[in-house]
Amino acid sequence: MKTAAVTSILMIGFLSAHSANAASLYAGQSKAAAVCSQCHGIRSPSADAPFPPLAGRDADYLESALKQYRDKTRVSDIMNNIAGSLTDRDIENIAAYYAKQKP
Amino acid sequence: MKTTKRQLPKSVILGLAAILLPVAAQATSESPQHIQKLYDENCASCHGSDHGGFIAPGLNSDTLKGRSPTALRSLIMTGSFDTLMPPFFGRLSDDEIRGLVKHLQTTPKQANPAWTIDDIKASIKVYVEDESKLPAKPIYDIDNIDNIIGVAARGKYGRGSGSKAVFINSVTHKQIGEIPTGTAAHIIDYNPANPRWAYVKTDTAEIFKVDLYSMQAVRSVKTGFNGPGLGVSRDGKYIMAGSYVPHNAVILDADTLEPLKTFELEGIDPDGKMVTSDSGMIIGTPFDDIFAIALENAGQVWVVDLKEGFPVTKIENVGRHLHDAFLTHGGSKLMVASYDDSIVTAIDLKDRKIIKKLEAGCVPHVGGGAAVEVDGRTLGFGTNFGDCDKMVVSVWDLDKMEVVKQIPVDGGTESPAAHANAPYVAVDIISKDKRARTIQLIDKKSLEVVKTLDVGGHAYFPEYSADGKFLYVSAGYSGDEVVVYDSASLQKVATISMESPAGIFSHGRVRYMTRGLSPDEMKGAK
Repeated sequence: MKTAAVTSILMIGFLSAHSANAASLYAGQSKAAAVCSQCHGIRSPSADAPFPPLAGRDADYLESALKQYRDKTRVSDIMNNIAGSLTDRDIENIAAYYAKQKP
Repeated sequence: MKTTKRQLPKSVILGLAAILLPVAAQATSESPQHIQKLYDENCASCHGSDHGGFIAPGLNSDTLKGRSPTALRSLIMTGSFDTLMPPFFGRLSDDEIRGLVKHLQTTPKQANPAWTIDDIKASIKVYVEDESKLPAKPIYDIDNIDNIIGVAARGKYGRGSGSKAVFINSVTHKQIGEIPTGTAAHIIDYNPANPRWAYVKTDTAEIFKVDLYSMQAVRSVKTGFNGPGLGVSRDGKYIMAGSYVPHNAVILDADTLEPLKTFELEGIDPDGKMVTSDSGMIIGTPFDDIFAIALENAGQVWVVDLKEGFPVTKIENVGRHLHDAFLTHGGSKLMVASYDDSIVTAIDLKDRKIIKKLEAGCVPHVGGGAAVEVDGRTLGFGTNFGDCDKMVVSVWDLDKMEVVKQIPVDGGTESPAAHANAPYVAVDIISKDKRARTIQLIDKKSLEVVKTLDVGGHAYFPEYSADGKFLYVSAGYSGDEVVVYDSASLQKVATISMESPAGIFSHGRVRYMTRGLSPDEMKGAK
């Protein structure tokens, strides 16, 4: 019984670790290339561009910001439109991808 | 109010607008002059300073007729994905963008602006006064100057700090220098007689004379408003440059960049109509002291002798809408791509006559071309950038001047790369979807596509290093890097970051004339 409880705790541990790692960098890069890179760059924005860099930013921050833009709880003409089509999974992947890039 | 306006006849609205506009202009400072300046400074380098289009579509009352102003406004704000069109959100105000849309939808294509030999002369800028004080050899480590590879970096906005010519050592894959060009670099050409000089031409028709030894620009000249055409003569004494706007070409002294003679590009097209013409490719050849220039709209190739008065021999009826070309047979034959009739026309530069018109595929864009010797035959490779049902790379036997094979590829293609020492001919797939990330490799012997590489960005303009060991490809548009592969294993070996890289030009080109031929082919010509 005790063993089973420990096992299930371990299992939960594994599972949550698994879901945290589930974000796919490859899918994130591909989505970033299609949706974000036009303004923010695939690694960094153009030196002449007025857009904020995303490389190396905290993944959780990027995720919550993107969700706010998508859900229009944070208002921006352009970001509300662009983030509007992203799924939770897309957002997770994109955030993980940019967080991994060197600023 | 809106309903009333809709019911008013057009003339009344125009009259009202004429009265209201000047007032509005004063009130908002969105004057026509201000908007025109915005166009010149943000749009003209790609869309043409005559509003007639260049590497991007024409923006005028005709081409934008019936387009929704709202859709155009959001396109300018966000840019256009899968193209070079950048987002102007944050760079232009919303009022400016609205003003631009209105201006573009009411402005017709402009007449050719004047840019005379005196204007060209007056535009010369000298950055290094005394060239004799330049270092006698490269100030960086390099075994052979042919190992230099130049990349035309466009910069995200086609101008600004990202616009430059970047030079790389193709042995170490490290950047050895960069030349800021202000607007997007488009073509890099090398002086065949003196290895230290390179010439970089921008989308705004400025040419920079670059000292490769000290990696700096020594002079520049503005030869027009838009146009990529650039060639260097075999003796390294002359440059010829041609423009889309205005419709002219000019021969310059390659040393001082002083203009020597201008040419008005006009002639009778294959339909018998007299037209003025964009300048297509310009090429110098190891075969003779001449330049060949394609008159795009007139369908003519002109051969200019580099002697007193620069006399011109005109070859007519070459094709409908010519563009680029490549040389073969020691530079005595020229293969010219013709968009609208989807042919490549072989021209004999000795007799100055058309040899034959060869089937090319769908809208041929040979992008500098490629030719390789396989089992005793010299094969030419022709890319086609049209998106048709039949997407092929054409292979011609350049001795017999006949089609050997049309190799099916994944999409439209723009530029082939080949090297005598490399097993594959690389072509860039440019169709506007995920295929644009890729290049395909054709086996020289089997003439089949054997591999597809996912390069990223908009992958285009493959180029081999002078020794043939490495394949360079631009991950362009938003890819922002040049990717280097081992030519045999096709493993990725390096990346070099830059903003929106495009054309790649190996210094080795001066030795092998057309990519894929061995340097012996050129020697044979003399």
